[in-house]
Amino acid sequence: MRRTLRPAVFLLLLASPPAAAVAYGQAATRLETVVIVGGQEPASPIPTLFANSASNRAVSELLFLPLARLGPDNVTSGDKGFVPQLARSWTRRDSLTLVFEMDRRARWQDGTPVTARDAALAINLARDPAVDAQTALLMRLVAEATAPDESHLVVRFTEAYDEQLYDAVYHVYPLPAHLVDTIPRGALAKSAFATAPVGNGPYRWTRRVPKQQLELTAYDQFFLGKPGPRRVLYLTVGDAEARMNLLLSGDADVLAAPGTVSSVARVTADKRVRVYPMPTTIVGYLSFNQRDPADLNRPHPILSDPAVRAAIVKALDRRGMVQATFGSWASVPEGPVPQLFWIRDPGYKPAAADPAGARAQLVSRGWTDSDGDGVLDKAGKPLALTLNYPSQDAARGQLALQVQEQLRQVGIRIEINRLDGPVWVERRNRGEFDLDFAQGAMDPSPAGMVQSWSCAGRGGANKAYYCNPKVDSLLALALRAPKKEALSLYRQAVRTIAADAPAVFVYTLTTPMAVNARIRQVELIPVAPWSAVWRWAPGPSR
Amino acid sequence: MTRWLVRRTLQAVVTFVVVTVLLFVLMRLTPGDPLERLAGDRQMSAEAVAALRHKFGIDQPITTQFTSFVAGALAGDLGVSIEHYPTKVSTLVLSRLPASLLLGGTVLLLTFGIGIALGVFQAVKRRSRADRWLTRASLTLYAMPSFWLGLVLAWFFGIRLQLLPVAQMHDPLLDPDASWLVRTGDVLRHLILPAVTLTAVSLAAVMRYQRTALLEVLRLDFVLAARARGIPERQVLWRHAWRNALFPVVGLLGLWLPMLVSGSVFVEQVFNWPGLGSLAADAVGARDYPVILGTAMLVSAQVLLGGLLADLAYYALDPRVRQA
Repeated sequence: MRRTLRPAVFLLLLASPPAAAVAYGQAATRLETVVIVGGQEPASPIPTLFANSASNRAVSELLFLPLARLGPDNVTSGDKGFVPQLARSWTRRDSLTLVFEMDRRARWQDGTPVTARDAALAINLARDPAVDAQTALLMRLVAEATAPDESHLVVRFTEAYDEQLYDAVYHVYPLPAHLVDTIPRGALAKSAFATAPVGNGPYRWTRRVPKQQLELTAYDQFFLGKPGPRRVLYLTVGDAEARMNLLLSGDADVLAAPGTVSSVARVTADKRVRVYPMPTTIVGYLSFNQRDPADLNRPHPILSDPAVRAAIVKALDRRGMVQATFGSWASVPEGPVPQLFWIRDPGYKPAAADPAGARAQLVSRGWTDSDGDGVLDKAGKPLALTLNYPSQDAARGQLALQVQEQLRQVGIRIEINRLDGPVWVERRNRGEFDLDFAQGAMDPSPAGMVQSWSCAGRGGANKAYYCNPKVDSLLALALRAPKKEALSLYRQAVRTIAADAPAVFVYTLTTPMAVNARIRQVELIPVAPWSAVWRWAPGPSR
Repeated sequence: MTRWLVRRTLQAVVTFVVVTVLLFVLMRLTPGDPLERLAGDRQMSAEAVAALRHKFGIDQPITTQFTSFVAGALAGDLGVSIEHYPTKVSTLVLSRLPASLLLGGTVLLLTFGIGIALGVFQAVKRRSRADRWLTRASLTLYAMPSFWLGLVLAWFFGIRLQLLPVAQMHDPLLDPDASWLVRTGDVLRHLILPAVTLTAVSLAAVMRYQRTALLEVLRLDFVLAARARGIPERQVLWRHAWRNALFPVVGLLGLWLPMLVSGSVFVEQVFNWPGLGSLAADAVGARDYPVILGTAMLVSAQVLLGGLLADLAYYALDPRVRQA
């Protein structure tokens, strides 16, 4: 071979996928592996202890099982409709006590049986605010968990309410007591268990390359069945375009939430990829600050007036904005009610935008365009507000521009602040905003509304300091009421919140989950998307 | 020579210290709290945030923080990452260094290798059709944003033709026990698109420098004299003219040496190349102060070293510098 040709042949060999595949001997491995690509790194996918991000929580579903899962209708109230997992069954001893019978087939991946002691340890850890303040708050009605023997777990509650089972199984997953109990709580983050967790789910931890990939291997002794995909790789890819390229080139099999409507269209146009809709607990809303950002002890000079807030809501064409940004992958919620809430009113239709009515309402509150500059003013002060949103969210950026333009037409000047993530969080926490474009993944239980929309939530998740005692009372009554009555009380609370207009509730999302067509039997469970991956059937590329 | 070298090194050290102090102070003045972000999408109590702040030492006065940082740095400890707790900054930086060196080294090699060759070719064939087309092509590539070119190449070669990997440095499915030959081939396959992207957008500068420098030298009397003495044209070009036309390119190389470690943030992100550029960008986004400082110090050191090496090269190549 001529010397000059050698480099070209070498490059051709490198570039040839079949040659490379043969050289790697990877064809068989490829068939048996599911590659998931995401933007956030699941650095510590350990439930109860470190589940502080969506990716940690999602990936922990591959490693750990709960006592029981929410059923397909996502009803969080009552003792029925849940799907047994580590607990084979549960009975009610009295209105304050639940007794779980553990499934004796369950094993930790080091061979140790999963016992009631593991579940009791996790529940008691979760009640400790030093471990995780937010989980401790959610578990505040759990008095204690004990394990009288290996097979039975007794959970006692401080009061009778309809979501006891949900609280016991949703927020906490059993942890291996034989490994965790000996670690001082302050040393958990540095422990061997944190860096290579031992779970009881269908996959076991194999290796992690920080910020790059996490590799999990099928655990063949998994008591619910042998996992189909032999390996699951989770790739962390920060750039949205790179994630999309990996999916479209076939190097990755699964991509959650490809992004705005144009990105989703790119995915749906590719026949090698199927898109599955997955309802979520995500709600996007524009919070109105109730406090003056310049002096947090005073009410907001403009937004403390409910009529002004209601006029802003009235002025916006939320349906049009959501359609333009997300296409059919989102809808306008009635209040802080995501698609997965069982209390959601399926017949709800948002009122049409009424810019003229909104302007008239503002004029009736004394806001007029006295200097003819197109911006309403009162006592010499213009109706001008800032809108903060995090720069990494393109969808909220698009929506912010639409909000700015639609409010301009009624005489409200909006200054958009596109902020770097940490700066946005800092300003939000400090109350330094007029309008804050927030997006939250809520708990599947409507009782979780207490965190962001009650007087008690002020200083915590309730960044805008909205407070209406009537809402608090309705939420408290709903929590303790039986399902049918609770439904009516929750809906009343939602309508009261919507009427108060503490925020513009802009969208609730359905996540498009893009999966390579080579994977069959795809089943996605909304609140735990990867928990059924072990039942998927990967096949050859199409 | 020794005195010159000592003086030059001292200057570099002083600059490095000033840059480090400035970086440390400016970083603390930047808005955004790393710990509030660290809480993820859950709420953290003020006490929990305060405890974390204490754990990472950022509740201390800035002078105390700086003193403890300097003490650690002198002992080779750049601290612990906030985002990747409890991983040490040095471990993170060292884990990303090989990828950066590989990409940066390949790009420098290709840019200067191809750029010098094409620049010489253009100078020799000045005002020819080839010269004009090469100028147009290189300037077109130069004008392209690297991330955009990267996306186009990834789409064409990765998605459309399915010839090359679109991202990553390794095939994640590659057997960890694969032979070194297979591993090398795998890395090279993944290297092609990011390296070609960066080379394409930076080639024009070297070509233009080399072309202009050589054209100037080719006009000088000593070249005419060499030709008059009957020295073959190839020898005139490479032994006499080119060596003298190399100084500007050497200066340029000194300026570009930091690319070896800093890479290109955009290209690293588009191709998910696990280099220091993307580590630094992620650290800035997370306000991970120790990692920002660690990577910035490395790049500063590289800039200063690049300048020093360029001066040394001038010193070695140009007798006039030695006499000055």
